[in-house]
Amino acid sequence: MSVSSHPSDETLLRHAAGTLPAGPKLVVDLHAAGCPRCREMIRDLEAVGGTLLEGMAEVPLASDAFARVMARADLPELRKPIVPPPALPVPRGLVLPGGIALPSQLAARRIGALRPVAPGVRMGKVHVPEDPGTRVLLFHIGPGRSIPEHTHDGLEYTHILCGSFSDQTGRYGPGDLVEADAQIAHTPRVDETGDCVCIAAFEGRLRFSGLLGVALRPFF
Amino acid sequence: METRPGSAKFDGPDGTGHPLVAGLRIECMHAVEPRLLLAPRAPPPAPRTDGRAIGCPAMSAPNPGTAGPAGADMSALIRAIAERGDRDAFARLFRHFAPRLKAFLMRGGLPANAAEELAQETMLAVWRKASYFDPARAAASTWIFTIARNLSIDLKRRERHGQTSRAEMLEEGVDEASGETILMGAERDARVRAALARLSEDQATIVRLSFFQDKPHSQIAQELGIPLGTAKSRVRLALARLRTLLEDLK
Repeated sequence: MSVSSHPSDETLLRHAAGTLPAGPKLVVDLHAAGCPRCREMIRDLEAVGGTLLEGMAEVPLASDAFARVMARADLPELRKPIVPPPALPVPRGLVLPGGIALPSQLAARRIGALRPVAPGVRMGKVHVPEDPGTRVLLFHIGPGRSIPEHTHDGLEYTHILCGSFSDQTGRYGPGDLVEADAQIAHTPRVDETGDCVCIAAFEGRLRFSGLLGVALRPFF
Repeated sequence: METRPGSAKFDGPDGTGHPLVAGLRIECMHAVEPRLLLAPRAPPPAPRTDGRAIGCPAMSAPNPGTAGPAGADMSALIRAIAERGDRDAFARLFRHFAPRLKAFLMRGGLPANAAEELAQETMLAVWRKASYFDPARAAASTWIFTIARNLSIDLKRRERHGQTSRAEMLEEGVDEASGETILMGAERDARVRAALARLSEDQATIVRLSFFQDKPHSQIAQELGIPLGTAKSRVRLALARLRTLLEDLK
């Protein structure tokens, strides 16, 4: 199944402008890594940023600004070596089908053990140290099972790593990013054909309904 | 003073005695009305059917007009820094971009002193990372924009959480472009500018506000005097129009 569901243009614009919070940015990056169409649009929108920069009316800097920058340019740079972060072990409780690996952007992040939160559904918290306020969750959902019912104030971004699910708006497969706003009451149900592993980021407050809300309190 | 790569940076006990440093003035000419931010510097684009003309190589790049040296020249300056540690080139680049960066960052909501700091940080990063610049990937202004954007994301995170980000470090090593057709940076730049120029004035305002504002809908509603719900759909329409124009101009 080829990628058929993409982030909205507004989300791509926020990504390019640097105003998308860290959690949604991670999920969009995961999608874009496998989606040339979105990578291309992000580059175009970054060029919009360049054009805006080029067109700004100048605001003068302090008179010694250039001297200060040059003075620092002459200092040997205290450079943090760029080492690719080591891949961490696959989180406990996550079983990926053969041939599928966690993408590097995820493998380098600490992910809490996946714990059962509903019949056939396990969930782990993805740590986003650069923005501790952000909520990113990894779901492992069995065939025919549903993502627990929840509400959120802002947008929800779900990227499918493997498997597929359907909701009122359509059927989604690996590589798809599904953006749902608070108005959409959706209960995605995983197709009978196999497990689904997906990652979801939320803007605004997230609440699970009923008893599950109580059970999940340790996550938040 | 002769400047050579590498050694040039450490020629003296300090670098502050360089004549350029003493002689630099920040010039503020050609103030542009905010309303005109999206106005094209290039001559009006060719009609859609003649789209290929827009994709000409960098040498036939847009006339610099009043906005300073052309993009291709700016790229050459960055290359000169990367290849020779050329301070003259850096001074020219600084004169052009630093005051625009400060304005840009203030427009994005930073107070003047923070914008000043970050504009300086960005230019320092331009000096240090010049060898990473790839004109085939991005125009000079776009590359410098992305540096400023990443630094300002880091700044916001530090302010909010006292955390440093590893995002930028990770991004530097990543090159996902292999095997993909990459438009020449200058070509992309020209195409994007042409697309922006074809938006209506309201749509250009919407794109600009969406770029600068964290929560643009209410700002757009206020600026255009329309209800909030309408603002949301107007953003969607403006960006859909921009996407269509970008695709048509390919």
